Amino acid sequence: MMEKMIFGRYIPVESVIHRMDPRAKLIIVFLFIFVVFLANNPMTYGLLGVFTFIALLLSNIKISFIIKGLRFLFWLILFTFLLHIFFTKEGELLVSWGFIKIYEGGLIQGIYISLRFFFLILFTSLLTLTTTPIEITDGLESLLNPLKKLKFPVHELALMLSIALRFIPTLMDETEKIMKAQQARGVDFSEGSLTTRAKAIIPLLIPLFINAFKRADELATAMEARGYRGGEGRTKYRLLKWDLRDTLALLILIALSVTLILLRN
Amino acid sequence: MNIRTISISGIVAALYIAVTFLVQPLAFGAVQLRLSEMFNHLIVFNKKYFYGIVIGVFLANLLLSPMKVLDITFGVAHTAISLAIVIFLGKYVKNIWARMVLNSLVFSFMIFIVAWELKIAFGTPFFETWGVLILGEIAVMLITMPIMYAIHKGVHFDKLFKK
Repeated sequence: MMEKMIFGRYIPVESVIHRMDPRAKLIIVFLFIFVVFLANNPMTYGLLGVFTFIALLLSNIKISFIIKGLRFLFWLILFTFLLHIFFTKEGELLVSWGFIKIYEGGLIQGIYISLRFFFLILFTSLLTLTTTPIEITDGLESLLNPLKKLKFPVHELALMLSIALRFIPTLMDETEKIMKAQQARGVDFSEGSLTTRAKAIIPLLIPLFINAFKRADELATAMEARGYRGGEGRTKYRLLKWDLRDTLALLILIALSVTLILLRN
Repeated sequence: MNIRTISISGIVAALYIAVTFLVQPLAFGAVQLRLSEMFNHLIVFNKKYFYGIVIGVFLANLLLSPMKVLDITFGVAHTAISLAIVIFLGKYVKNIWARMVLNSLVFSFMIFIVAWELKIAFGTPFFETWGVLILGEIAVMLITMPIMYAIHKGVHFDKLFKK
């Protein structure tokens, strides 16, 4: 089961994107969501495509691997495309076949929105493909640090994230064990009516929750016993380092945004 | 924030992912209901579950969603705002079942945030999408109410932070 886990998405290879500071990657991926909406003609979409594929190449991850991982999204993209083709009635009528009418505006809109979605998924996937979840947590904690002044519990939230990441595999193993134990007793989680299935889930969830909260209790006691006092004056094992390449990457994104603004209709 | 709140929140978030990933969705017909939505009901037992639920949604979107950052932004906003509203309104409702119904209604209404995301990302019509999402959300929230209550009877969600 663990191999299906999306953590597997992190690909530990050597690349300039892997070496980047997680804070830079978080900022760039977040800004990209807005940048992708700047494209509105063939030239700007082309530029966005080139930028995305260069970023993918720099990550040293096989394009075929990424495409394979996103195969299930093909239907979603196709659905979006068809939705626009059939329901947007703008511009010249291109095809008229019975009740099916395809307009130029619908076709263009369908292509643009599908491309936007495709680029957005490819680019944002790079964050988790090249950054471990724990690095993402460290990056987020550092980026949210200024909010401490507003009494926002930044350190505590980062610690909760780290605890969650540490315990996901443990609790998944436990869920599987309990599921198998219940199946051995004749419980069927996939058959029967909605009520039967909902009832079957309860004997799985009660021991899972009891065990999980027992772990939370033990963890709290262990932290207390070791004198945990929160984030004040705490040093870090993993240190983040903002390099020239991070500034450069950010500048390239800004340059792309400016170019898109100049080239858009 | 005390240590118990931190450790319980981390574990709740991990549970959220384990349940999202391993327990098959309850399906009727073509409609699949994500079981992990039941975690939203934790808020009716104690407002301290806020952090665990929000982090669970954040991680679920980070690790399991193809749209990553877009889903994180809108998904976390939907959950955090809905939970905040339920915490506020919950002060005036004492009965657990009534609180769970209130919670289901608030989450279903506030799902317009996700409809807005889909409008931005896919250009889907806002009101139609909102309508479909409301139906899915209210169904899963109402169906999981007795499940959550049955677990509460065994686990006592309201007492966990008080040890």
